[in-house]
Amino acid sequence: MALAGFLLLLGTRPSGLPSNIFPAHVQDLSNGELLFHAGGCASCHSSADADSELPVLGGGLAMETPFGTFRVPNISPDPDFGIGEWTQSDFITAMRLGSSPDGRHYYPSFPYASYSRMTFEDLMDLKSYLDTLPWAQNRNEDHELKFPWNIRAGIGLWKILNLDPSDVIVMPPDNSLLTRGRYLVEGPGHCGECHTPRNMSGGLNNGRWLAGAPNPEGEGKVPNITPGAKGFADWSQDDIAYYLESGFTPDFDTVGSSMVEVQENMAQLPAEDRAAIAAYLKQIPALQ
Amino acid sequence: MSRIFISVLLSSVFITGAAFAGSDPIKARQHLMEDTRDAAKVVGGMLKGEQPFDADAAMAALKTWQKTATEAGDLFPEGSETGHDTEAKATIWTDRDGFNAAMEKFSTAVDAAIAAKPDSLDALKATAGPVFKTCKGCHEGYRVEKED
Repeated sequence: MALAGFLLLLGTRPSGLPSNIFPAHVQDLSNGELLFHAGGCASCHSSADADSELPVLGGGLAMETPFGTFRVPNISPDPDFGIGEWTQSDFITAMRLGSSPDGRHYYPSFPYASYSRMTFEDLMDLKSYLDTLPWAQNRNEDHELKFPWNIRAGIGLWKILNLDPSDVIVMPPDNSLLTRGRYLVEGPGHCGECHTPRNMSGGLNNGRWLAGAPNPEGEGKVPNITPGAKGFADWSQDDIAYYLESGFTPDFDTVGSSMVEVQENMAQLPAEDRAAIAAYLKQIPALQ
Repeated sequence: MSRIFISVLLSSVFITGAAFAGSDPIKARQHLMEDTRDAAKVVGGMLKGEQPFDADAAMAALKTWQKTATEAGDLFPEGSETGHDTEAKATIWTDRDGFNAAMEKFSTAVDAAIAAKPDSLDALKATAGPVFKTCKGCHEGYRVEKED
């Protein structure tokens, strides 16, 4: 049994991607910036005390969870303290496989299970954009997790159970609005990480996709955003797009809690991307 | 003499009224927030182009917000942390300075909007827009998100 467990962990060791599988790509910094907002990178990775027009991604935020305290890392382009030395291959491996350049598993508090759906081209543009941001020269403390979650090797098992880059919801492939919305929501937007409840293994319960979940940060609830009666049944597609743009519900209540930063990121996207997200959310299975 | 008596009597009625409202600050602030949202519907409907611009209705809405800005801060006393399904977050009491600062931004923006006496849709956009931005200032860190 112990041997079998050892072999299983051995088989789930982190691995990188061979660099020859990446497509030839002309970098597009504005696309990288769009994905930076869609992905909400700054919401977690911003330095608290940064005094800059541009985002300073020094990290340091302490995320208190039932598993212990996660500390968000420095992903600024500083070569010593951040990820400036990373190759495109290192970055894509981190985002799609959840593994670090030195061969360690990342904890899924870094939502790579969603980012694994991002295209190589988009990830290359995002890395190019991150490289243009200010350097942050600070090292952050390590995570402080409780047993058994402090054993990183266990994440290999988590990945086998929960890391699946395929689409969650089937959409008509010829409808570019819906497939774009699906890409943004299921991939970079990582909406499911909070709006979908988790199963016993800590992965998303896709049978309850976006149907609302307990608030991982404490009291309250993350709302149902399916077309169900407790979700967006009474909201039009335009209502959802307007909410993402302005922060106002159709009743002129406002966005609150952690969604404020998310909404402000969504407000930076082109209007057609907000419309695509709204169209997708009106199309997914209505759950109560 | 009788005039003084009557004014004393009247003010005691008002004080009693205020004290009565104050005896249930959670209900009082919930009503205040409903009025605030109703006023936001009026202004927001105009900004979205769903309602025609109406200077008097806009000013009435701004005055409603001013009432909120004046009264809301006092409706979160110690001891009103729980009950009536309140959405008030504990941070209001643990970070009162931050909460007051967020309220103050709302209050300042509302006063500026009223002073500007918006007489066109563009003027309303320019003055009510900044007020709208301050709503999130309190709802981000001092409100618990619950289901309706």
